[in-house]
Amino acid sequence: MRSDMLTSILTDLNGSSADIEASGVISTDGLMMAAVLPASLDEDRVGAMSAAMLSLGDRTAQELARGDLEQVLIKGESGYVLMTYAGKEAVLTTLAKPNAKLGLIFLDVKRAAANIAELL
Amino acid sequence: MAQDFEKLTRYAKSFSGLTPELESSLIEAGAEIKPKLSGITENFYEHLLSIPEAKTFLEDRVEALKTTHRLWLEGLFTGPYDTTYTEHMYKVGDVHVRVNLPVEFMAGAMTLINNRLIELVVETFGDNKERCAQTLVAISAITGMSLMIMQQSYQEASLAEELEKFLKISGMSRTLFTNLAAAYK
Repeated sequence: MRSDMLTSILTDLNGSSADIEASGVISTDGLMMAAVLPASLDEDRVGAMSAAMLSLGDRTAQELARGDLEQVLIKGESGYVLMTYAGKEAVLTTLAKPNAKLGLIFLDVKRAAANIAELL
Repeated sequence: MAQDFEKLTRYAKSFSGLTPELESSLIEAGAEIKPKLSGITENFYEHLLSIPEAKTFLEDRVEALKTTHRLWLEGLFTGPYDTTYTEHMYKVGDVHVRVNLPVEFMAGAMTLINNRLIELVVETFGDNKERCAQTLVAISAITGMSLMIMQQSYQEASLAEELEKFLKISGMSRTLFTNLAAAYK
């Protein structure tokens, strides 16, 4: 049930912008809770890698005195990976196209993360 | 991760060539060799104390270490050379990691012990060429096996220590690390 609701939030997020290609909600231990991903992506790997990156981002922000972590953004040739906390126990990972309008995506992701946090 | 000591015993024996015949040779030699082992322990620590890098790890502990060392040497000529022996040597390797002993010290120390044991065996069985040769091969096999086990333990303990450090630095939980590793199996 909750999984369906999470999937619904992710489907809405993916539909909010043509630039968003995929998204997933992951526990901070790296296990996938819900995902709307292309078949070419391995859920386990996306989950574990996202949680690991967020954890490392957390430590980096602390170590370099940047305050509480808000998000981790990775830019590659083929697009963006955006990771953000959705409450204390979950991570929202979003994959976007290389020419994505980041401002809009940040806004949509923030809204989705808040909804997920509320649900969890 | 729990260690399979039976498997490790077989593995170490397959390399060192410690056969049941050589095990019997060690036990037979023990009757004459064991009473002379305290001299080897004394000589061993005297030599180690002459090496500045080793001395720093020994100060204030030499007398206690001598007792443990002599008991281990006696064990080489007592047997059994089974999983209990392997487990014991594995713990010895683990202790060496915990006191931050450089890895080369184990091979260096085993070389020193072998050198002294060779002298002792030649002195004891020199008039019986066959027995002397058989005992030397047996000693090489058991010390080789012991070194292999300790190095295995050392390697695993060092990796575990490195992993702990990595988890602490990265902020990753052990569960997350396990999940990450499982995702890339």
